[in-house]
Amino acid sequence: MSDESHGTLPEYDAGSYVGGDRPPGAAPDVEEHSLRREVGGYITGFALAILLTIASFWVSGTNFIYGPALAVALLVLAVAQMGIHLVFFLHITTDPDNTNNVMALAFGVLIVCLIVFGSIWVMTHMNQNMMPIPMDKLLQMQP
Amino acid sequence: MSTQVLRAPPDPYHLGHHPAAPGAPPQATGHGAGGPAPKRIVVGYGFWIFLLSDVIIFASFFAAYSVLFKRTAGGPTAQQLFDLHNTAIQTAFLLTSTFTCGLASIAVGQRSQKWTQIALLCTGLLGAGFLALEVREFAGFVARGAGPSRSAFLSSFFTLVGCHGAHVTAGMLWLGTMMAQFYAKGFRTDIRHRFLCFTLFWHALDIIWVAIFSLVYLVGSLPPEFLP
Amino acid sequence: MLGKLTWQAIPFNEPIPLISGFGVYLLVIALVAWVLRKGYGPYLWREWITSVDHKRIGIMYCLLAGVMLLRGFIDVIMLRLQQAMAFNAPGYLPPSHFDQIFSAHGTIMIFFVAMPFVIGLMNYVVPLQLGVRDVAFPTLNSVSLWLNAAGALLVNLSLVVGEFSRTGWLPYPPLSELRYSPGVGVDYYCWAIQISGIGTVMTGVNFVTTILKLRAPGMNYSRMPMFCWTALASNLLIIAAFPILTATIAMLLLDRYLGFHFFTDVSGGNSMMFMNLIWAWGHPEVYILVLPAFGIYSEVVSTFSRKPLFGYRSMIIATMAICIISFMVWLHHFFTMGAGPTVNAVFGIASMIIAVPTGVKIFNWMFTMYGGRVRYSSAMLWVIGFMVSFLIGGLTGVLLAVPVADFQLHNSMFLVAHFHNTIIPGVVFAIFAGYTYWFPKAFGFVLDERLGKWAFWLWFVGFWVAWAPGYVVGLEGMTRRLQHYDDPQWHPWLLLAGVGVLIILAGIVVQIAQLVVSIRTRDKRRDRTGDAWDGRSLEWATASPPPLFNFAILPNVTDQEPYWDIKQEALQAMQLVTPEPEYLPIEMPRHSPTGFVTAFIATVTGFALIWHIWWLAILGLVGAYATFVVFAWRDHTEFVIPAETVARIDRANREARAEYLRELAR
Repeated sequence: MSDESHGTLPEYDAGSYVGGDRPPGAAPDVEEHSLRREVGGYITGFALAILLTIASFWVSGTNFIYGPALAVALLVLAVAQMGIHLVFFLHITTDPDNTNNVMALAFGVLIVCLIVFGSIWVMTHMNQNMMPIPMDKLLQMQP
Repeated sequence: MSTQVLRAPPDPYHLGHHPAAPGAPPQATGHGAGGPAPKRIVVGYGFWIFLLSDVIIFASFFAAYSVLFKRTAGGPTAQQLFDLHNTAIQTAFLLTSTFTCGLASIAVGQRSQKWTQIALLCTGLLGAGFLALEVREFAGFVARGAGPSRSAFLSSFFTLVGCHGAHVTAGMLWLGTMMAQFYAKGFRTDIRHRFLCFTLFWHALDIIWVAIFSLVYLVGSLPPEFLP
Repeated sequence: MLGKLTWQAIPFNEPIPLISGFGVYLLVIALVAWVLRKGYGPYLWREWITSVDHKRIGIMYCLLAGVMLLRGFIDVIMLRLQQAMAFNAPGYLPPSHFDQIFSAHGTIMIFFVAMPFVIGLMNYVVPLQLGVRDVAFPTLNSVSLWLNAAGALLVNLSLVVGEFSRTGWLPYPPLSELRYSPGVGVDYYCWAIQISGIGTVMTGVNFVTTILKLRAPGMNYSRMPMFCWTALASNLLIIAAFPILTATIAMLLLDRYLGFHFFTDVSGGNSMMFMNLIWAWGHPEVYILVLPAFGIYSEVVSTFSRKPLFGYRSMIIATMAICIISFMVWLHHFFTMGAGPTVNAVFGIASMIIAVPTGVKIFNWMFTMYGGRVRYSSAMLWVIGFMVSFLIGGLTGVLLAVPVADFQLHNSMFLVAHFHNTIIPGVVFAIFAGYTYWFPKAFGFVLDERLGKWAFWLWFVGFWVAWAPGYVVGLEGMTRRLQHYDDPQWHPWLLLAGVGVLIILAGIVVQIAQLVVSIRTRDKRRDRTGDAWDGRSLEWATASPPPLFNFAILPNVTDQEPYWDIKQEALQAMQLVTPEPEYLPIEMPRHSPTGFVTAFIATVTGFALIWHIWWLAILGLVGAYATFVVFAWRDHTEFVIPAETVARIDRANREARAEYLRELAR
């Protein structure tokens, strides 16, 4: 495959760039990586994701898990499935070539947690401290 | 930081990309100190960062949804509205489309026009199926008087899930454009880079859907005494 | 056919916006006509409007910011005049008009002055300091610039077509909901912010990628200049925080346009959630502005103290600590909204902790100066003015971080004085320092130093005369945004504040004079060597102004102050350090109208949405998609600069450097 020369330096195939890094979403460029292994990776990921999805639907419909723990269980299953997606479909690994991608992901996860859990925490307290509304005013607030 | 050292690099201006001697390994170190990264990495990483920002938009909508979940203003609640069969089918469609998208990226790696177009077509059809089900669900809610202007809960539901649907729609437009570009221009480098970004986007949409079906639909359908 | 738009939208019965608006309109028409008559049109289109060169884009950002600074400052004069006059009197501005002016003032200063200036300086300097040819995505860079300009245009349009928002610079519900603000003002605000916000997020993506993936060979993380580190932290904050703004304003727009109930006071909406989400953006936003400012100060201090920056590693840790902690303090903007003592205490403590890394930075700057041979040029004066003033502003911030104190001072003039005390010395002085410092690099000649010093002193004295009274009246109980008042205690202070603003106005006039005079006498103040200040980082290794490709050969970096090392070695050896290299042809990205076209479509779509002209909005969205496709379908995205051209340009630079070396040796 011929690549047009880009930018500042002669283009070289990322695979031969020893100690370099990988773009996120790209599979590791190893020469022995056969077509079978690549497809196999996606099939494994697909199968695991299906399993976790079925598990999520199943636990929410039965009482296999203690009721009040269900919300957390579903969260855990969701996070696990997100991990499957990241590893099998987006090829996020812990190689040194992938450090920047993992750091960015970690930063994103931190911010998401701060926003979601921070907002829930703050707003719960705010709502609790609201003055109780008498019934007639409450009815007035309906559209 | 001594001023005595007179730098006389053995490899002026080539800096490891071409080895100093034939057969010797390149000398550049990783993590960006070997000079500007190749375009493929730059494009992929840039899109990864953009996806991060997109995920934070979803996080804001998720936060709003969590806060407004119980504010149904006397109207329908999640438990009353959600049809989990529909959700299951939507999940199956989107997950399978992610798989076919992965197959498409393998096909692009193999430079097979036929398999690329087939895999992308499957991805598109599955995505279209997902969207059709979602539109039907939304229309059904509106017809039952459970539209987004009924209550804060419904506003936040429609916005969160609708935002995901809007992203899927944009992804479909992008998918169509990619199919056209591969067909018209072959597997040119910049088109492959663009496709790498598309696969990132499509997989990320499924990741967000995992959060939505678990935390919106499944958690929402739990009886109220089970909710925190 | 035209939605809500009618002739009523033009303020025929309000003299001030009518006259000023049409005055500006005529000025713009005259300028465009002059440009076209002189034949500058094609040059401007090819070399500036469609440019994807980070240097040109940086200059255009700063130009946009400068023009908007004048508009924002005119708002200031109007506000101060009203408050000086309106003691037991109605003043000259009716309340509805006053409200639009303070809203426009804040919106313009934050979004269309501070952000573009800071982004413009980052655009110009970061690739040069990293030793590379351009940012990661040059065409995207152009799109960002023009989207920001589109937002500014919409805000300015509101002056003559319709009205602006009356809800302050952040549109708190329920006031900003349709029920209580049925006009188009809030819509103008929201769409302008959304459009420019998209541009800003693109900038964030661009710069994070550039700084992490595109650096000169040998420049690992601990050899990056401090300005690049702070640019990295700031851009990480942009990508993390701006999406929250986009989502929250989108929720407000959904409430207003489609009857959703996120923040309404009926049907379950929760107005408090708006404050929570918007400040989760708003607090990181101020760090987005101030971190690059700190970076500018680091560069200027080390150059003008003739010493390397003290405590480089602690500066990096402090910067990244500020980056992370800035996401954990947002509730301090609404302590009084009733989250309760536990929540308030946690956020109060976090707000105090975040002052520590800033303190580390201030000590490091002081220790850089200590033992150095300090040159008190005008750029250095801005730095010292900052250190003295920002310290006080920061301390009042730590005071306000105590929830108990904040309950008394929230939304008082004390708060307003605090944030002006941090933004003006923090961000605005940095912008002026950076402008003075990098002007010779960008334009090839130095600004007049004497006028620069005058400008500094007028700004510094004027700032304190304007804002020290703010603290006083705040403690005396005055709240913000008052159109009139009757407390006699406040009146003299507000008059004094008006005087301060006039002193600042004199400073601005001197700055304009400085620019005009410097341009007129530019031949006498040419920077022939490219190294106007005896600099230490890589941008000073290029000619002034640098060629399109920045560096003929990417420099090889072995230490933290690469250009300083090069100079020392050259002085020792009395010759240029590297021999003439083998010149290769250089590929550069082609200029592209994508940015301008995107922004044009965005402006039309935004205007259509504001006035409910639905068919035009849909057309706009279709146009946006078409632009993407046209851009993606391009076959030729780069052009080649032949090796001989590169050689000719670089040889001229090498000649100038050799001459400079001979001069230094004498």
